[in-house]
Amino acid sequence: MIEFAWLIPALPLLTFLLLIVLREKLKKASGYVAVLISGITFIVATLVFLQLIDVGNFLMEWSWLTIGSIDISFGILLNPLNGLMLLLVAFISFLIHMYSLGYMDGDQRFSTFFAYLSLFTSAMLGLVMSPNLLQFYMFWELVGLGSFLLIGFYFYKNSAKQAAKKAFIMTRIGDVGLLIGLILLFWQTNSLRFVDIYQAVTNGDMSGGMITLIAILIFIGAIGKSGQFPLHTWLPDAMEGPTPVSALIHAATMVAAGVYLVAVMYPLYMASSLAMMIVAIVGAFTAIYAATIGLVQNDLKQVLAYSTISQLGFMMLAMGVLGYTAGIFHLFTHAFFKALLFLAAGSVIHAVHTQNIKEMGGLNQKLKLTSAVFLIGALAISGFPLFSGFFSKEEILASVWAEGQYGLFIIAIVAAFLTSVYMFRLYFLVFHGESKLTLDKVKPVPMTMKIPMMVLALFAIFSGFFNTSWFGTYIADFLEEGATYLEGIHHGSSIWLMLLATVVSLGGIALAYLIYVKNALNQENWKTSGTYQMLLNKYYMDEFYDNTFVKGSRGIGLGFQYVEKYFVRLIILFIGDLVTTFSRTGSKSQTGQAQTYTAVAFLGLVLFAAVYMLKGGY
Amino acid sequence: MGTLSLLVFSPFIGLIALLLAGKQSDNITKRIAAFSSLIPLILSILVYAQYQAGSGLSEILRWVQFEVGEQTLTLNYELAVDGFSVILILLTTIIAVLAVFTSSWQIKQNSHLFFMLMFLLEFGILGVFSADNLILFFIFFEITLIPMFFLIGKWGGTDREESAFSYIIYNGLGSMVLLIAIAAIFVTAGTTNFSEAAEYFRTSNEAGLQLGIAIAFLIAFGVKLPIFPLHSWMVKVHVHAPPALVMIHAGVLLKIGAYGLIKFGVGILPASFTTLAPLIAILGLVNLLYGAYLALVQEELRSVLAYSSISHMGIILLGVAALNEAGIQGAIFQSVSHGLISALFFLLVGILLVRTRTTNLRKLSGLARLTPVLAGFFLVAALAGLGLPGMSGFVSEFTVFLGIFENMPVIGAIGTLGIIMTVVYMLRAILKMTYGTYRNMFGDMNDLGMGELIPATILLICIVVIGVYPNTIALTVQQTLETLLVGIGG
Amino acid sequence: MTTIPLQAYLILALILFCIGLFGALTKRNTIIVLICIELMLNAVNLNLVAFSQLGNNPGITGQVFSLFTITIAAAEVAVGMAILIAWYRHKNGVNVDEMDGLKD
Repeated sequence: MIEFAWLIPALPLLTFLLLIVLREKLKKASGYVAVLISGITFIVATLVFLQLIDVGNFLMEWSWLTIGSIDISFGILLNPLNGLMLLLVAFISFLIHMYSLGYMDGDQRFSTFFAYLSLFTSAMLGLVMSPNLLQFYMFWELVGLGSFLLIGFYFYKNSAKQAAKKAFIMTRIGDVGLLIGLILLFWQTNSLRFVDIYQAVTNGDMSGGMITLIAILIFIGAIGKSGQFPLHTWLPDAMEGPTPVSALIHAATMVAAGVYLVAVMYPLYMASSLAMMIVAIVGAFTAIYAATIGLVQNDLKQVLAYSTISQLGFMMLAMGVLGYTAGIFHLFTHAFFKALLFLAAGSVIHAVHTQNIKEMGGLNQKLKLTSAVFLIGALAISGFPLFSGFFSKEEILASVWAEGQYGLFIIAIVAAFLTSVYMFRLYFLVFHGESKLTLDKVKPVPMTMKIPMMVLALFAIFSGFFNTSWFGTYIADFLEEGATYLEGIHHGSSIWLMLLATVVSLGGIALAYLIYVKNALNQENWKTSGTYQMLLNKYYMDEFYDNTFVKGSRGIGLGFQYVEKYFVRLIILFIGDLVTTFSRTGSKSQTGQAQTYTAVAFLGLVLFAAVYMLKGGY
Repeated sequence: MGTLSLLVFSPFIGLIALLLAGKQSDNITKRIAAFSSLIPLILSILVYAQYQAGSGLSEILRWVQFEVGEQTLTLNYELAVDGFSVILILLTTIIAVLAVFTSSWQIKQNSHLFFMLMFLLEFGILGVFSADNLILFFIFFEITLIPMFFLIGKWGGTDREESAFSYIIYNGLGSMVLLIAIAAIFVTAGTTNFSEAAEYFRTSNEAGLQLGIAIAFLIAFGVKLPIFPLHSWMVKVHVHAPPALVMIHAGVLLKIGAYGLIKFGVGILPASFTTLAPLIAILGLVNLLYGAYLALVQEELRSVLAYSSISHMGIILLGVAALNEAGIQGAIFQSVSHGLISALFFLLVGILLVRTRTTNLRKLSGLARLTPVLAGFFLVAALAGLGLPGMSGFVSEFTVFLGIFENMPVIGAIGTLGIIMTVVYMLRAILKMTYGTYRNMFGDMNDLGMGELIPATILLICIVVIGVYPNTIALTVQQTLETLLVGIGG
Repeated sequence: MTTIPLQAYLILALILFCIGLFGALTKRNTIIVLICIELMLNAVNLNLVAFSQLGNNPGITGQVFSLFTITIAAAEVAVGMAILIAWYRHKNGVNVDEMDGLKD
């Protein structure tokens, strides 16, 4: 079965092509086709994964591009890390395909949606299986394409168009960093294959400075894709896309690609402590930065978006403090509970047609299942004991502590606390209390939307048990087996840390309860304060970028146009004038006067005679 | 006469067929033209197959030999192809067929003369790529100027006459410089045959003269490519010439500049070009960024595409300046890739103009609502233009940057800004046109019909095939690459 | 009697020719220009006759040739005067400076 691993990205690609061409003919059926094929993809992925557990590694390559003496190949690589990712992506993609059957029902471009969704899935699966950085980069960009098409799905809305553009451009900026890092790596090691790169690092072929530079450049790519500060502003805007898209792409899979990149290039990072430090600091900062913004947003999806950014920050922090397994584990659990939260949010939006939480309330009366699963997701993300998030988050905290980064530890703790607060603020405002809407208009949730949510809820609760110090560290063992370069990463944690994590998470829930259910704190002063305004406006980052880069680029363009009009045209005019002047001078000699002509003719004759005499012949 | 001569002269079949047919009805003229344009395509595929099979394709006929002082100067009728030219020939014939096809419904008056001039143009271009010595190259080079002048001046849009004059004056001056350079080579080396001249210059050591000739080549081909600041004519042509013609112009004619620079510049005078490399790199950078930033602020789609062409040609210059395998192969790839992508774009522009008569971005907003397939194709073309992996543009840009980072990393780093800006201007232009609210200014518009869909799909397939499996072209070019690099590396 | 040397004749002819040339190129009145042209032609005649008598190969060729020159001069003057009269009728003046119809 494992030789057919190429089917995994190929099948969704087939769906894409089919649905694009046969859009009109299939219509409603296209949804079923897409779901079916994504289901088959998931089954193949599972089979491949099962075989992988025995085999451990698999590589298949064929020639792609020859440049003189350089040979670049394309292929398929399977190892524990990407086997896990394959399984995760295929599974969540399948669930979201199913969910979209219900959510996108009635949309005019139903088939196109599934086509794009399949394209994205195909690219993401291809990315995960890449054996070399170039192929990785290519699928990286294609994943960005899928994201672009889906964010701009409602293309007639100007906001969607702007959001799609912004996403593409910002991730492109990050991608440039990755590209430069890739090229530099090539000239240092003469290969782009991961195995060759690991070898080169172990052999010490590259200087420390070069390794650090390359690691940082590659991390810039990760910053763009995973929405870390400062390339994060596209993620909240990406919420313009339909909610299934937000769930799949901007919570569970694409944004995790950045973390995956750092994981794949881990030997490089392990060789450069400066780069690791930068990864950790950026991650920690982003975690707390996004958490503070998420605290005050009033749009349901925006809060979840900032939450994603924050959790990705946690993952990066983990990677940066030698917590490889912790980071991957959190990626894993986050995929489940974040997708769940988004799907639940989608269910809410589908029912009440608004995204403003100020207009919601008391929805647990009508949307019982949604309310329940949202609660599960919220508990998971807050790190409520025994839910998945508890184990993964606390492993991260353990790694930070073990690395001795006490400053970052405090930041992480505060961020975790804020996570609880904003998550439960959301829960209480949306589902609890008095409803501000007339609840009879609430549409019921179809079964195709309920099943994925329930499945995800199960995983949100139980996936933590794949890697606990009490019941067995399955994931850690699986990832680290045979990977000699992963020596030195942190494992496990201590009891007091678990207690601290529990206290933090429960404390957050309690605070949210006090503020939003009991109304214990006065909110007037807070709402009018400058800090609040700053948080509400996301620290004015969008305005900053707009004024500097956007307007700046336009300014340069207009400046060049000025150059075009005046400088370049001047050259043309100058040459034109030159010619005209010559001809004017020339035509002045055409006086029409016979005497002048005769004089000149005679002068010529004299000249000939003189030359003849001096030269003594012709 | 061998296959090559047959190929080069094959457009005359179409020319003569049209002459003999006389002034027929539009339909018949167009049908004759369309069929005759297939002949060069078939022959070029034959030539390609022969080249791959390795059988010799060169032809030599004695022409002129005269003595000046102690030197014998020989000038023969020589045709030969190498990897680079055979691919460009294929590109030419494919785009020519599609251009003839698509111009059928854009040219309303005097189509008879139009197609005859197109065939003459194709003849010139095929000759340029097949010529094995500089003077024959120059003759064919000049032959392409005349039909272009008339084609732009008579069938273009507003300002067509000014564009035509601008075209011929700029290119004429460039040709003048080229002629001086060729004459210099002829007189010093005694021959203008490509390989013999390269041989001569390898052993001689008049560095000053070689540098002078190299700079002359740079200027002459710089007008054609075009290189800032000699680019204004090209912007005018892109905007005012008929779109079917611009398909050939942007797709193939601009590549003559690249071809000349690589084959004759770097091929004959590698030492001088190594000296000039930093200058060429900076010019490439200027092209890349200048074009990109200007494209950002244009209001008309064709202007955006014009500056986009300047920007993409900058990448070719960067590839040439890198002077290593990756750089030159990247430049070759970019020639082909940009040719296909420009052809696709202008094919779509032609299709658009038939319906809307304008390419003003503001007026066109919301196209995706009414003509989703056309809008989709525009979006795909834009993605190809910004170097999305899976399409040829990515392979060429990646290869060029790979090359330039080896020797001039700083310039490469600045160049990556161009990669970012390409995305910005492309998306801005295309999204402004396709997404957004629909302004009901054009009434009912039909989406793409079969006759429009097929050429567009053919081009798209070419672009994607090269993007997904670049060895289709890469393998053909390997030997040429080696020959070119012998001068540089050795 | 001392024979007049050849050079004397040549110098005379030269002087006459120069005077004629000067007049032809600078005078404003067309009739004067025509007369000066006559003067140049006669200077040439003088040269021819002088060489026929006192040159390296004395013979009658020079004198015969000068007869030809005289005839042609006469014809040329006739044509010239005819054009001049036609012009005069048109423009009522014979100023050379005004005859610039071939100017750009």
